[in-house]
Amino acid sequence: MSALAQARPTSRQLPRIRPRPRPVEFGLLAIVAMALLVGGASLGATEHWLKAQAGGEKLGAFGFAPPDPRGLGVYLGALLVVHIVFVLAGRRTDQVLLPAVAMLGGIGLLLMQRLPQDLVTQSLGSFELRLGQLQLLWLLISLAVTATLALLVRSDHWLRAYKYTWAAAGVALLAMTFVFGTDTNGERLTLSIGPISGQPSELLKVILVVFLAAYLSENRSLLAEESTRIGPLRLPPIPYLAPMVAMWAIALGVVVVQGDLGAALLFFAVFLALLFVATGRLSFVIGGMVLFLAGSFVLYQLFGHVQQRVDNWLDPFRDPLGSGFQTVQALYAFARGGLLGVGLGAGLPTIAGHLPVPAVHTDYPLAALGEELGLVGLLAIFGLYLVIVERGLRIAATAHDEFRALLAAGLSLVIGIQAFIIAAGNLKLIPLTGITLPFISYGGSSLLANALAVGLLLALSDRGAVPPPPPRRRRWRGLPGRRRTR
Amino acid sequence: MDGFVLALWVLRLLFLGLIYIFLFAVARVLLRDLRTAARGPAELGRLVVVASPRGEPAPGASYPLDAVTTLGRDLTNTVIVDDPFASTEHAVLTFRGRVWYVEDRGSTNGTYVNGVLVAGPTALGFGDQLQVGEVRFRLDRGHS
Repeated sequence: MSALAQARPTSRQLPRIRPRPRPVEFGLLAIVAMALLVGGASLGATEHWLKAQAGGEKLGAFGFAPPDPRGLGVYLGALLVVHIVFVLAGRRTDQVLLPAVAMLGGIGLLLMQRLPQDLVTQSLGSFELRLGQLQLLWLLISLAVTATLALLVRSDHWLRAYKYTWAAAGVALLAMTFVFGTDTNGERLTLSIGPISGQPSELLKVILVVFLAAYLSENRSLLAEESTRIGPLRLPPIPYLAPMVAMWAIALGVVVVQGDLGAALLFFAVFLALLFVATGRLSFVIGGMVLFLAGSFVLYQLFGHVQQRVDNWLDPFRDPLGSGFQTVQALYAFARGGLLGVGLGAGLPTIAGHLPVPAVHTDYPLAALGEELGLVGLLAIFGLYLVIVERGLRIAATAHDEFRALLAAGLSLVIGIQAFIIAAGNLKLIPLTGITLPFISYGGSSLLANALAVGLLLALSDRGAVPPPPPRRRRWRGLPGRRRTR
Repeated sequence: MDGFVLALWVLRLLFLGLIYIFLFAVARVLLRDLRTAARGPAELGRLVVVASPRGEPAPGASYPLDAVTTLGRDLTNTVIVDDPFASTEHAVLTFRGRVWYVEDRGSTNGTYVNGVLVAGPTALGFGDQLQVGEVRFRLDRGHS
């Protein structure tokens, strides 16, 4: 008997790995590859044509080569490698997310290859990497991060058990940015430690979703209860409201100290969305919005940079060459694009050596895409974001327990809401706030944070994953309103 | 020259078209997925036995739940808990709207949710643990 027990394999052994074909993913990736190759050819041909026209010479030969065929090839090759690795690993994860993200990343890569290459340069030893190559490098790193998370994360214990540790790390990151961060355009966003610099607010949004999912899933039933009454208001028990109020204070604090309107708006919107998903109570969302509007109004009265943003939004033509310059130029770009766009690469060239929209690679990629792909192209891009959100919500609907459901919903909503905020800002629907367009904008922090989110979503979508760990005891009991009614 | 411009136009439209073909293909996959999810026998939930000191019911066993599911030692219960610490009619699980509730039916040793004694109808989330006698269950989402 004892010999038999010893011979039995331990339960913590990894499950046997068996390759499993993923035909849907392969088919979709094939369409992505075709689209990007055609896009690259269209971009190359346009540049060839414009150059010939500018030189006043006759077009000698047809040139359909993409501007950076090797870069595009490397990107498509990396996608194929990730797909093959997924097939070999044989996990039953979602098959639509990777192609949708790959399409957005590819469109972003084409855009970065089309913009002036000296917009961003970075030298690594003797190499000098330029905008298109840097974006490619970050895309490859992001794909690696996504694949690693999707393959290796089998249990979510490390996320749910240490939620306060994660929250503390997030707050520490925020505090470090307050103290050591460097200012760009009056917003304190960038944190540099030695050679590494990044925007912590991008990482913070993932941490925030993890914390909120863990906190809300543990205290969901208590929050849905109405045991405290203040006049006509019925509120959940006060001790459980404290983190919520803290959240509101942090969002407004980010605005005050960092001047980072975009991150504040994103954090608060994600917070309200998750609160609604967890409790199903619309009154929380309405209450939160009223609080946010009240807070925003006070901030508008007190702070100059908030006033400037709102004034630019209300009337950018008041100062078209100064503070309203970007907004006005972006609106012109959308107007030039029309329905079908002017074609990749045919957008307005630089004016006297300057880009018409200076932050086109970070805050305004949508303006460039709107000009070159038109309304039809923009709607397709919004459709791609919608697909990512739909997949996230489907993963949430089939999740084993509340934590995984909230985490999946939160991770996809944070991407969707971020895309909405920056798109609406570019289109002058809401005041512009400087955040990135997920997967398309240039920038390592943004790409990596969104890759983390997608990797976790893929891991969560696995149907054969480890069952969730047992919930912890609720320590605080004896609520005043919980007596038996009989 | 004109041929080149024409080819350029075709390429531009083809690029936009391919993005839409991609979206169309994705939409088809999503629709198929939603249809199978809607068609599948809608199980309201499952009780999985997490721990059972006497092996009856066996650990790991799972029971699909009806909208009203009773637990106890008596043979008339939906889920029979053959445990000396369980009462004949121990507890009842009810599905109301979109939420599961558990209620004690006046048992001797009480019913526990995540280690807390139940008093009156208590909401249960998926993933929560339910203890009847010495047997512990976990409420899982139903298989589709």
